Amino acid sequence: MKNSLNYKIVARGFLNNIVWIIFLLLMITFSATIYGFFSVANYINIIYHSVFIGILAIGQTFVLISGNLDLSVESTAAGSAILSVWLVSTSQYASGYQLYTWVGFLAVIILGVLVGAFNAFFVVKLKINSFLVTLSSYIFVRAAAIWITGGYGMQGLPNGFRFIDMTRLINIPLMVYLMFAMFIFFEFLLKRTRFGRHVYIVGGNESAAHSFGINVDKLIFKVFILSGVIASLAGWLMAARANGSVAAMGRGYLFEVLAAVVIGGVSLQGGIGSLVGAFAGALILSCIHSALNLSAVSPFITNFIQGILIIVAVSLDALKRLFR
Amino acid sequence: MNNDKNKKVLLKLDNISKHFGSVTALDKVTIEIYEDEIVGLVGDNGAGKSTMIKIISGNIAPDEGTLYYYGKEISFKNPSDARKLGIETVYQDLAICNNLDSVSNLFISREIYKNILGLGVLNINEMKSRAKKILDKVGINIPSVNEKVEYLSGGQRQAVVLGRFIAWGKKLILLDEPTAALGVRETRKVLDLIKQIKNERKEASIIFISHNLQQIFEIVDRIIVVRHGKIIGIRETKKTDTDEIVSMITGAIFVSKNKR
Repeated sequence: MKNSLNYKIVARGFLNNIVWIIFLLLMITFSATIYGFFSVANYINIIYHSVFIGILAIGQTFVLISGNLDLSVESTAAGSAILSVWLVSTSQYASGYQLYTWVGFLAVIILGVLVGAFNAFFVVKLKINSFLVTLSSYIFVRAAAIWITGGYGMQGLPNGFRFIDMTRLINIPLMVYLMFAMFIFFEFLLKRTRFGRHVYIVGGNESAAHSFGINVDKLIFKVFILSGVIASLAGWLMAARANGSVAAMGRGYLFEVLAAVVIGGVSLQGGIGSLVGAFAGALILSCIHSALNLSAVSPFITNFIQGILIIVAVSLDALKRLFR
Repeated sequence: MNNDKNKKVLLKLDNISKHFGSVTALDKVTIEIYEDEIVGLVGDNGAGKSTMIKIISGNIAPDEGTLYYYGKEISFKNPSDARKLGIETVYQDLAICNNLDSVSNLFISREIYKNILGLGVLNINEMKSRAKKILDKVGINIPSVNEKVEYLSGGQRQAVVLGRFIAWGKKLILLDEPTAALGVRETRKVLDLIKQIKNERKEASIIFISHNLQQIFEIVDRIIVVRHGKIIGIRETKKTDTDEIVSMITGAIFVSKNKR
């Protein structure tokens, strides 16, 4: 009896960390089989290319654990990139204001707060499913940004803006450190603070949370605003790396983010998941991209493998139920 | 009505009414709960028992009437207000988070934390050691307090729920069918536990809802019968029997009166 119990706990522990095991296996396989994959520069590259998806996955993870969904992250990020470049850059298609970088930054954060508050308002006050609310903002936020700015590609940002991407520490761009710092801070927020604990409680059993006196509405507001602000920060970084913006910026990121968090073990039902897992999910996607780039195969194979990987990861997660 | 008891009134519901649309869930209900007693609340499904519990626990506000706590008028804006006075509820649908471990469940919205730079940083070790003490007291063995509740048995899960009222129910404990989902042996344990708690806490009272009259007669001091949102009668357990209570619940008493 005691032994079988221990074996179950071990099995569950194994499956809880399966995403990191998959990541390591992929890294080892690719390193051994693909020419040019096995190098420090490529490893740094893999992490560097996981920054946007990784950061967007942080906000998405909070929203999913609270039992909701945020489809708007991609558009909030794109809208922020476009808006900040429009306000700050020297491009002839920009606003011409050429505002200080920090003013552009402030505008972007406000945009994130507004989109988050918009989403939360309809989810909390009108009890509309978050899928529908954020589908709406997914569509209109990018459209609004393009409409206001005219939708031209814009180039030319001041060095202060691009500092976070151009500066390197031990050959690694600053924004990579920023991503690590964010994962550590937000994992702490999620696992070790009262706010994070309440996110799990609301996602696990909303009516229980309510009857225990947790202010569920306020919590949902906070979570959506958090996701909005993180998305707008990601947009800022996208603009910094691209040294400008285009209308189609970040298209397809939404599904990459959802794939990353789901592969990382975050449940769409709410209440389950961690940022450690979501981070591994983002790294896995990035390492597959890198492997396929280096082996020069059709880009469709990337999507094919991503699709298969989602069902594999989710099935492995479902296996946990066998070890009750 | 209870002249032989010289106890303080802990909680009084005075002319409490509650409507849900055109349905009257409670109709001018007046009852008193004394210190140091176990009260059984019985009635058919939809009689208004759960509505009463929800009003006392601060989950819903009454439309009319007043609540008195030790003679002082009170109104609860939310369940936290009631909980601050030591009123703790165990719900029939087991308000529990399956996605979290026993420690987190015992401390839902009562987390021990320190405010560091505006963040409520949890003191996980303190909560864990307190949780172990609480669960020891419940007397149901749980392999690990860090195990997700999802992986526990029904009895172990109930132990976590009951642990909560042992830890926090200082004044008034509301038990809404706590044995409904349990097997025979676990039910026995829960009943013994309720008696044990009552013996240890002289100033605390318990309101116990159950459909099982055998359980009611075993542990409660007084029985309050609710029917169609009204108080049909209040009996001391020693001075009544199952037949009388059943006829009050079903309304047989009134039927026979009308026939006369």
